Amino acid sequence: MTLSHDVLVVGAGLAGQRAALQAFRAGVDVGVISKLHPLRSHSGAAQGGINAALDPKDSVHDHIYDTVKGSDYLADQDAVEVLCKEAGPTVIEMEHMGTIFNRAPDGSLDRRAFGGASYNRTIYSADRTGLALLQGLYEEVGRDPKIHIYEEWDAVDLVVRDGRVQGVVAMERKSGKIEGFGAKAVVIATGPAGRVYGKTTNSHESTGDGCALAYRAGAYLKDMEFVQFHPTCLPHTSILITEGARGEGGILRNAKGERFMERYAPHFKDLASRDVVSRAIVTEVKEGRGFPDGTVHLELMHLGKEKVETKLQEIVAYARTFAGIDPVVEGIPVYPAQHYMMGGISTNPKGETNIPGLYAAGEAACVSVHGANRLGANSLLETLVYGKIAGQNAAEYAKTAAASTLGQTDVDATTGRIHQLVERKEGELPAKLRAELQSTMDELVGVYRHPDDLINAVTRVAQLKERYQNVHVADKSSIFNLNLVEAIELGHLLDLAEVIVTGALARTESRGAHVRTDYPKRDDAKWLKHTLAQITKEGPSLTYLPVTITEYQPKERAY
Amino acid sequence: MTQVTYQILRNDGKGGVPHFQNFVVEIGETEAILTGLIKIRNEQDPTLAVRYSCRQEICGSCAMRVNGKSRLVCSRLVGTETKTHNNTIRIEPMANQPVLRDLVVDQTPFWDRYRHIRPHLILDPANPLPQGKESRMTPEQVDQFRETPRCIACASCYSACPAVGSDPDFLGPMALAKLYRFTVDPRDAAYHERLEGIQNQKLWLCLRCNLCVEACPKDVRPAERIVDLKRLANQEIGKRERGSKHSIGFLNNIEQGGLLNETKLARDSLGLFGMLGQVGKGFQMMRHGKSLKKHPPIQGLSEVQAIYADLNKPEDIKGRERPVGKGVKGE
Repeated sequence: MTLSHDVLVVGAGLAGQRAALQAFRAGVDVGVISKLHPLRSHSGAAQGGINAALDPKDSVHDHIYDTVKGSDYLADQDAVEVLCKEAGPTVIEMEHMGTIFNRAPDGSLDRRAFGGASYNRTIYSADRTGLALLQGLYEEVGRDPKIHIYEEWDAVDLVVRDGRVQGVVAMERKSGKIEGFGAKAVVIATGPAGRVYGKTTNSHESTGDGCALAYRAGAYLKDMEFVQFHPTCLPHTSILITEGARGEGGILRNAKGERFMERYAPHFKDLASRDVVSRAIVTEVKEGRGFPDGTVHLELMHLGKEKVETKLQEIVAYARTFAGIDPVVEGIPVYPAQHYMMGGISTNPKGETNIPGLYAAGEAACVSVHGANRLGANSLLETLVYGKIAGQNAAEYAKTAAASTLGQTDVDATTGRIHQLVERKEGELPAKLRAELQSTMDELVGVYRHPDDLINAVTRVAQLKERYQNVHVADKSSIFNLNLVEAIELGHLLDLAEVIVTGALARTESRGAHVRTDYPKRDDAKWLKHTLAQITKEGPSLTYLPVTITEYQPKERAY
Repeated sequence: MTQVTYQILRNDGKGGVPHFQNFVVEIGETEAILTGLIKIRNEQDPTLAVRYSCRQEICGSCAMRVNGKSRLVCSRLVGTETKTHNNTIRIEPMANQPVLRDLVVDQTPFWDRYRHIRPHLILDPANPLPQGKESRMTPEQVDQFRETPRCIACASCYSACPAVGSDPDFLGPMALAKLYRFTVDPRDAAYHERLEGIQNQKLWLCLRCNLCVEACPKDVRPAERIVDLKRLANQEIGKRERGSKHSIGFLNNIEQGGLLNETKLARDSLGLFGMLGQVGKGFQMMRHGKSLKKHPPIQGLSEVQAIYADLNKPEDIKGRERPVGKGVKGE
């Protein structure tokens, strides 16, 4: 059976829902498929805030400059300009939809300091800004039942034929049924792929599905080697402790009690950009100035119980529950963990990919506004600004596009492949292969990247891909077969890991979050360019794309 | 590390008889119960069906019953259960929602109730929000949301609620807490309509057992917000609404005589005609020794009345009025 919509959005986090809402407002028929209920999306886990130069004393230009500098000059400046100019109207629009933000005493939107920002421009909702925005947007989308949301459907295939996108084949979790979703335009907004790593702040469902499907269908992936490690995560669980904690005045200290960030970033100190702070923490611990458990401490005690317990309510609960630490009276042990993929499906500032009819937005996409390192509180902003743009343009495309040719043959092809997978009698379980992939990436493709490790990682990922050909699904049920789902997801993770390590090995410079121990300097002459990866039988084929520079010429970056 | 027995209610979702299955898991006491479930899936039985995602108490996926109580297993630690339950953690799917398979339930009834309250801002077209600017909110206005913005829709409260199962009209703790959030929102213009929309069983079936308060991992305290809604409903539409009349009647009853007078209460709640329909119940009450005669006032009634007087002091009434400052301004 096949269903059809003018525009089909895959993913129902902030980017996906914003795209759906915009396409609907543009007057086309919209469907959304999501493997989770929209309110369970990983957007809801974002903590610290959303940037917008709303204060009259702030300026959009400063926001652009901070973002470009934070990106280590790899961001496309035309795309950053759109992001920052749309920031104010976007935040106001979300407020009018019902989002509950923190307020200053005069009733206006309160702002906090954030990493790499020259002005306090981060609008927030305690330390659950993602949840607040997700609720606001979901409530708005829910106003009109005509936006059809297919909950708990996994996208399994993206169908591209006759030089354009035709739709998606997806599987429903509760029944196991496989159906085709014909569409004139498809927007991929499936969010992060952090589960390529084991030590990640990302949710278990963050498996980069849409990104991998687009790649397999021939879309370019851009800058995948740039992986952000968030400086402050709880040990063991890698649960995120928001940058907002330092925005509110939190301080990092090593075991000797030193405020070590003064040495690494004399001006911005604890609020330097994330790549800088993560490297500082790794260096402190490696050089013996960490605590015995291999962490440094994030201190909030001096901020007072009242402020800590209200403005940082969630992370206080996390520290108490998951680390047995009370931040009101003691330092929180923290260490960097994978947090964000700067790379993703390559799009232009209209949200278009290289495949006609295929659009992408949010963390699954790479416009690029974050370049080699994303500034905190710019990702929530990107989901909404570029989700809207992608939704609008997908709708315009759909208005003149011919009907999709997706049909039963496409559904049968996917069904056959899935059946083959489920009927396989023996082999390795997905959990085992996934664990090996994650430890490979944790150990070999981290904050500092050694050439030998990267070569080793390329080999290991290739071996895992080989073994994956024999992956075994032990669960044979048609109802909520998560074993099957994780086997499919693992295929996505492996494809993306291959692109990450290939790109990282090829890029012989250090820029933003990508730091090569053998090439410790940024090399603008050779590497001021985006990596593009396209799938071939032999693996990812890399080409390069110039960076769009409008106003800010690259210069040395210091915080 | 210690050995813990996970006793899990399995259900194939295809009509097979649900049964408990034991898994022995090596796990630390300070680890989340969810971690053990993931270990079971990864190392012992990949067919165990369970929803989970963020593992940090924000996505709301992993609510289930742990040793009989509705819990979010990602933030419930192993040690909190094993100490009191002989190293055993019994895990069953949430209540009040049909089971799809193992620990996965069909949340349709939960989301239907959520949608019933119109969970979005309803604006007054004659009084639009400030154009191109945020609406201003005073700290008092923000305070009125209480902890409702923390709700992650995990349905722990819904699973714990005994009233949800007894009447399909009752909206349940999550939907009512969400309704409260919109009712007090200074931007929302449907204050009266929202309170009109929750008459009778929809709101008043809550008996304040507080199980939702205990179950909520985010301290939203749904029962307290339901009390707030009842209070607002009494003020706004009290005289015309049975639930309100019942609660006001109860209050007056005690104030006047110190004891509950069922006959008078029934008359206050239902009116004389309404009482005619309850004649059978009147006989039942008499059979069970409930006198329908008027009680004499209790001794020390003046002390009861002093409590009433104290509660009605102006400084206590403050905060029990209509939400402060409905409507917003731009600058």
